[in-house]
Amino acid sequence: MEKRLHPKDAGGFCVFGVFIFIWSFALISGTVMVWLLAWAIRRGEFRDLRQGARMIFDEDEPVGIVTDHFPGEQPKW
Amino acid sequence: MVTESSSAAAASLGALSTPEIEARVQVDRSSKQVIVLYWGAALFWLTFASIAGIITSIKLHNPGFLGGIEWLTFGRMRAVHWDTAIYGFGGVAASGTLLWLQARLCQVRMPYTKLLIAGGLVFNVGILLGVIGIFMGQSTGVETLEFPLWAMPFLVVPYVFIVIANFTMYFQKKTTHTYVSQWYLMAVTVWFPVLVLSAEACTNLGAVDGVAQAIANWWYGHNVVGLFATPTGIAAAYYLIPKVIGKPIHSYHLSLLGFWANAIFYNWAGTHHLTGGPLPAWTITLGVVGSMMMFIPVITIGINHHMTMVGSFHLLKTSPTLRFAVMGSMMYTFASFQGSLESLRSHQEITHFTHYTIGHVHLGMYGFFAPLMFAMIYYAMPRLMNREWSSARLIRIHFWCTLIGTAIYGGAMCYAGIRQGMMMNDPSVPFLNIVQFTVPYLQLRTLGGVILLAGTVAFLINFVRIVTPHKFTWASPTMLDTDRDWKDILKAEKGAEAAQ
Repeated sequence: MEKRLHPKDAGGFCVFGVFIFIWSFALISGTVMVWLLAWAIRRGEFRDLRQGARMIFDEDEPVGIVTDHFPGEQPKW
Repeated sequence: MVTESSSAAAASLGALSTPEIEARVQVDRSSKQVIVLYWGAALFWLTFASIAGIITSIKLHNPGFLGGIEWLTFGRMRAVHWDTAIYGFGGVAASGTLLWLQARLCQVRMPYTKLLIAGGLVFNVGILLGVIGIFMGQSTGVETLEFPLWAMPFLVVPYVFIVIANFTMYFQKKTTHTYVSQWYLMAVTVWFPVLVLSAEACTNLGAVDGVAQAIANWWYGHNVVGLFATPTGIAAAYYLIPKVIGKPIHSYHLSLLGFWANAIFYNWAGTHHLTGGPLPAWTITLGVVGSMMMFIPVITIGINHHMTMVGSFHLLKTSPTLRFAVMGSMMYTFASFQGSLESLRSHQEITHFTHYTIGHVHLGMYGFFAPLMFAMIYYAMPRLMNREWSSARLIRIHFWCTLIGTAIYGGAMCYAGIRQGMMMNDPSVPFLNIVQFTVPYLQLRTLGGVILLAGTVAFLINFVRIVTPHKFTWASPTMLDTDRDWKDILKAEKGAEAAQ
């Protein structure tokens, strides 16, 4: 019969290390996210949203062009 | 109809090849092997998970079914079904979608393709090992983290490659603007490693015990759906719906508000799974508040997805991508409203611990997330492979099976769950009567599952055909980057109309 490791047995190693890991991870990723938001604002990401919404279109597939239809069938407008 | 004059116009435009098109084709081609590997593997796991799900479902109304084989007992099959669905299909399909969409939106070639291919292989080996572990009875018993601990490094390490590739593409981007889909995609790669490592630490690694472990478990269980699968699905919808119908999204301001609201509120909702459990009441209240706040992102996303479609619903008849994308986005609104309401204590008095919750999960995963992944695959594969899907009929079969299967499954489970909950609240009803009442609905669930599997098989056939070109070729490829005839014809026609 395999002895199941009780969480407490691993506690000495885990508890402290894990909390340091989780908290530092959370702090670092939180800081990075705030920094990224500030960076994005500085970069002007939110300046012209109307134009931003159109960035998925280009000269080849402009607004007004339907880009998908069933294979082998006439595209509908 | 294509007229002669427009054909002539098309011929004059036929040689048109701008640097923009060249660049897009190159971007798509650079990611071909990686994406085909990820999506092919995802479809394999979807089929696997569906079969496991059907076996599990049959066991609920025919308990003796395959009962003699210990590997296929209920406790193992259920874990195998869910873990292959969320990691095998969800994780791998979402990663493929993430990489393709990010490359396209950044307009850069996919970096580290060999590393990503190796990572994809290791990730799938990890899932396979995890599944074998569960089959052998080594499930950890922690829901959604059932894979034995020794299988987890295979899942976590390759994800680091995806994170690196994602951010490399973003910081090399040739566009000046970050599209709303990109916010979601980058957030996923930040959230998921934090989620999985913290949750593993607090459950299977044993950093915390008892009730705190249950909280960590459900914090993860809820977030893996909401902060991993959902954002990828929403990102896909935000790209596909406007792109296919050729119309910018309804309100770009709202879409960004929706993203940040989702980022702030979703994380808190997990504890509503533990209503009635031995937790401090405030932790559950926090979960309920978080769930109710989710109305803000859900409404903003709903407004954007549905209002963009207004005036273009006729295209549902002709576009396979749009069908799946719109089904997914509509189901997102429905399942999210359902989920928020479901978190309320008064609602849970009836539906908690009933089939209702299972119905909700499947409406979310198979009604919302899966169709958006399908839509993504239907849209991208012809552009990656430079050839068309071989059969429109198989696409239609796939769509109707997905829609009808989800409706039967979700409808049967939600209705049965409500009735079941009401009967359980009535002490005069014997428990066996409740069990017997649910049997026909459990059979309907199996039927729904079989229909969904039939759709998946149709999709799989089409997928195999598009990646094995020599055997099946379509006579006239239609919507590809290189074959530009019809697009030019349409543009010429539109130009002529405008001139008149």
